[in-house]
Amino acid sequence: MFLKFLFICSSLAVLFGSLMVACTKDIMHSCIYLFFCLLGVAGLYLTLNADFVAATQLVVYAGGIVILMVFATMLTGGSAFQAHNKFGFKKIPMMGSRETYIIGFISAFLFIAITFKLLLNLKEGLTPLSGQMPFETVRIIGHKLVTDHVLPFEISSVLLLGALVGAAMIARPRRG
Amino acid sequence: MSQNFDVYIPVVLLMGFAIIIIIGALIVGRFIRPHHPTELKQTAYECGELPVGSAWSFFNVRFYVVGLIFIIFDVESALMFPVVTVFKELNSIGKGGIVLVEILIFLAVLVSGVAYCWRKGDLDWVKSFQNTVGNKIKK
Amino acid sequence: MNETIVTYLKQFEFVSRGYAGLSPHMATLVSVIIFGIFAFVIVNVCAIIGGLGTYAERKISADMQMRIGPNRVGPYGILQFLADGVKMIMKEDTVPRDCDRFLFFIAPFFCLVGVFATLAVLPFSNGFILTDLNIGVFYLLGVASMVGMGVFLGGYSSNSKWSMLGGMRGASQIISYEIPVTISILSIVLLTGSLSLRDMANAQTGFPTGWYIFHNPFTFIGFFIFFIGILAETNRAPFDLPEAESELVSGYNTEYSGMRFAFFALAEYVEVFVVCSLASVLFLGGFKVPFDIGGNTIIGQLLQVGTFFGKAFLLYYVVIWVRWTLPRLRVDQLMTVCWKYLTPIALFNLVGCAFWMYFFDGKSILTLLLQTGAAAAGGHH
Repeated sequence: MFLKFLFICSSLAVLFGSLMVACTKDIMHSCIYLFFCLLGVAGLYLTLNADFVAATQLVVYAGGIVILMVFATMLTGGSAFQAHNKFGFKKIPMMGSRETYIIGFISAFLFIAITFKLLLNLKEGLTPLSGQMPFETVRIIGHKLVTDHVLPFEISSVLLLGALVGAAMIARPRRG
Repeated sequence: MSQNFDVYIPVVLLMGFAIIIIIGALIVGRFIRPHHPTELKQTAYECGELPVGSAWSFFNVRFYVVGLIFIIFDVESALMFPVVTVFKELNSIGKGGIVLVEILIFLAVLVSGVAYCWRKGDLDWVKSFQNTVGNKIKK
Repeated sequence: MNETIVTYLKQFEFVSRGYAGLSPHMATLVSVIIFGIFAFVIVNVCAIIGGLGTYAERKISADMQMRIGPNRVGPYGILQFLADGVKMIMKEDTVPRDCDRFLFFIAPFFCLVGVFATLAVLPFSNGFILTDLNIGVFYLLGVASMVGMGVFLGGYSSNSKWSMLGGMRGASQIISYEIPVTISILSIVLLTGSLSLRDMANAQTGFPTGWYIFHNPFTFIGFFIFFIGILAETNRAPFDLPEAESELVSGYNTEYSGMRFAFFALAEYVEVFVVCSLASVLFLGGFKVPFDIGGNTIIGQLLQVGTFFGKAFLLYYVVIWVRWTLPRLRVDQLMTVCWKYLTPIALFNLVGCAFWMYFFDGKSILTLLLQTGAAAAGGHH
């Protein structure tokens, strides 16, 4: 019963959030709606018995990425805020023309078609597990990371290194 | 459905309580608090002076850099948590050495990145502009 | 194994017998009611602790500055926080005209929801814990990171320059100091082998000799790094730059008035209590009572709750003490302390703890000393 409640709440948060992200005109509001959406995704992970992934979603996305986006919005400053983001589609270059709408509809259609195709193939196994005990997913992930998946684990640190150095490079003042 | 998801009930309840408390207090307050808005009252207080212009303007890029570095460490900690959790268990069956080496490699790569940033002065808050100018003059 | 207050109550016969006769749906409903009662009690207790925190802050600061402090409302002025609350709710609710109304409205929610959600995993005793999630401390970090968002939004939405500066500083400070705090927690997780806060407390003993702070030199340093980190994360002096009253008026909550301001203050003071109790669970033995007096009975549990609150309040006192002792840092010093001192030392601690686990099999330094002492004594015979 509670599982259903959790699922309904989270999916409503995801749907509402993602819809509002697309519809609202203020960038900062979009960020907040994105936060709700990510929170809902964390709830969905929870219903799938993936508690560690849900917490990671909270820590990394809701706590980190959204703050980063907000900071990035603060970098744009000036013009976007003075107009108070009343730009319709027309004001953004390459948007609002007939071609973009056509491409948008085609990609939306393709996405829906592929999703439905996938869902039809998966008649079972989409309902959340109703089994016993949520096993300690942290332990399982940990065992996997130090045995079968050592290489991805180590390589991910190289990826993070690249991101760190890249971030530092971007922010460095231009010389000359 | 099953018993095991009941452990998340308090989380939802507490979040609900927080929301109810705020909304409830604001609604109750509506009946007992005065409401006499004037033109002057509704301007931003700031420091007592009349505000000049909007506060929403450009902000320094270093806040963004702090955010980026934070996310990198955040992902690092998210990856480390499971490994660290099983360390004790694996240590007791004699596999601790392998895990220790893995943790060391993982951290060494990251620390080398931090060391690079440190060396290049990216971790300095008051930066870089003065530093680069200073370096040029020195050269 | 997830433990909750319901599973604790089920060990008493009348509760488990009552549960046995219920259909699954009814059982969930009953659980919700039990959880609801306990969550309500805990929220109220913590709100009162937050309120008393404001009183304690003023009284202790008065003591340190040889003043009297609040002494009118109730005995020794202890009901001052209630008077403040009544005053707050009767204040006019002014909203700046140029503000972003939606964000202005929603910012306190982030702070209060984030702080209250952390209460779910605090182990008040071995049994009295709302829910002991497997991912306990990681969950706590996750929901606590909502506070940073609330602080930023409070600053941003006001459309006031000082608020904006305070919000930006607050958000960047909170996320920066989360790094050393998380790494310090990692070293404790390494020693415990579990993320659940109850397991962490249970791995320690009632006596200081068994606490993690005295487990090895690295955790000893780790405690201080953690403590400095939580001071910064809760915007307490000497890291109170987001609300530095001498430069930013009141920081991110300058434009908030009445009840909305009260929620920011409440969230801040409850968060201080939460992080203090987290520090006591991680490093100072949490709810453990010497000799485990009382065991699993109700009286034993109440003793444990007392121990828990005692340790948390002691740390709370230290936090207030620090505030009235140290001057505020500058922004660049703040970032230097975080990135150039705390984070490298915390990483060093983590590696040190891993080596300690590997070489000494997780024994504490006192155990090792006693062992070598015993071995030396044995050699003489």
